Amino acid sequence: MEYSSAVERHFAAPQRARELPGGSPGLVAGEAEDRTLHVWVRFQLQIVDGVVAAAGFQVFGCPHTVAAASAVADWLEGRPLAQARTLDAKAVCAELEVPVEKLGKLLRIEDAVAACCQ
Amino acid sequence: MSSREIYLDYAATAPLDPRVAAAMTDCLEREFGNPSSLHAAGRRARALVEAARARVAARVGAASERIVFTSGATESNNLALQGVLRRSRNRRVHLVTSRIEHKSVLDVARSLESSGVAVTYVSATPGGWVDPQRVVAALDDDTQLVSIMHVNNETGVIQDVRAIGEACRERGVLFHVDAAQSVGKVPLALAEAPIDLCSLTAHKLCGPKGVGALYVAPRVTLVPQLHGGEQELGLRAGTLATHQIVGMGTAYELADPAREAPRFAALRDRLWRELAAIEGARSNGDPERRAAHVLNVTFPGVDGESLRFALPDVCASAGSACAADSPEASHVLTGMGLSDVLAGSSLRFSLGRFTTEDEVVTAAARVAAAVARVRSLAPSAPAWCSA
Repeated sequence: MEYSSAVERHFAAPQRARELPGGSPGLVAGEAEDRTLHVWVRFQLQIVDGVVAAAGFQVFGCPHTVAAASAVADWLEGRPLAQARTLDAKAVCAELEVPVEKLGKLLRIEDAVAACCQ
Repeated sequence: MSSREIYLDYAATAPLDPRVAAAMTDCLEREFGNPSSLHAAGRRARALVEAARARVAARVGAASERIVFTSGATESNNLALQGVLRRSRNRRVHLVTSRIEHKSVLDVARSLESSGVAVTYVSATPGGWVDPQRVVAALDDDTQLVSIMHVNNETGVIQDVRAIGEACRERGVLFHVDAAQSVGKVPLALAEAPIDLCSLTAHKLCGPKGVGALYVAPRVTLVPQLHGGEQELGLRAGTLATHQIVGMGTAYELADPAREAPRFAALRDRLWRELAAIEGARSNGDPERRAAHVLNVTFPGVDGESLRFALPDVCASAGSACAADSPEASHVLTGMGLSDVLAGSSLRFSLGRFTTEDEVVTAAARVAAAVARVRSLAPSAPAWCSA
């Protein structure tokens, strides 16, 4: 299996792999999973004035999935919630040079973020 | 290999022993003759081949003339299975094997199945053992061959090839054993065992890659799978790779289970004592039936690919190296009843001649740190991630 330098970087230091403090106003969470693909993702977003002020995630999955969740969390912070809804797993896949057969796992990240935005 | 790197994947392949390398280099530099040639250069090469054949035969307790050199255990498995089962035409032919064999047996079995051969795949117990009674129950009047590996490549579980072989002998059924993982690690005495065909390799016991052998008992006839020469009793055409064969002979002379297995067992037990301290870690395969050099461990709650990626300096496998590119979970572990998720959360550690106690202790510490790091990515993961 090949891993891009971006995957290696995110996997080595997934800065937003964290639990945001619960109970604060504007905190939303969303989960998605695919048991057949062995992937589970949970995102938390702290929304302030319609903007993602902080993002945190948990992930069970392969290095590509971990790296993609980390890249998405980085991307989300500071963006309006409306823009978060436009997250495209295929674009993340391309940016991290994730093999196309792993797209199904990355789509669960898209689902988890979408669940946060509902 | 970097100085930080710890190699614990001897079941995939082993480093070349310097004494083997020296013997091969000497052969490459001095003897280029074709062992089938009748002139002096050919006769000198032939002498080297026959000396190596005698060393291989001595290690497995067989007569020299029963050893047929091949390119490795995969070719030997192909020759054994296809060589027996493609003999018969226009009648039903039946093969019995197990669900936890190596791909080089299972894929051949599937190929034979597509050609009309009936195949029964016997299940293993949760401990990874193929119960001889299940093999016997699978035999029918058309069974021509049973193929069961000696030591499982993923769990190290030793199969009762004597009991299975005796049952086969009683019924006039040929018995093939894939001994790629056992030779040099577990004693073998083929001439005295009820075994008709036995696949051997060199590279898993510090010999070269690209060479192996098939033991063929006296009364067994095979259809050759390679054509183009009468080498190796007409069973394997092609110019003999003298230097490879010399390397295999030296490797077999050096690999003495009586001397090395107790050391492997001590190292394996030390490794397990360290790894067992990791929360939830459990070893796979019946501990009462395991060869000394393999330890397979499941770390629940950890994606196996992420664990291996987090351990770049510990060379261990998810399972068979021959299936390492497959996204599917180990068929051996799932065949023993583990879920796909738990099978994917497992690592195989395999030890060898150059493994040290310092290495296994350091490797275990690195594994513990990696497991903790990967688990920390999903502290609230649902139960199915660990079950």
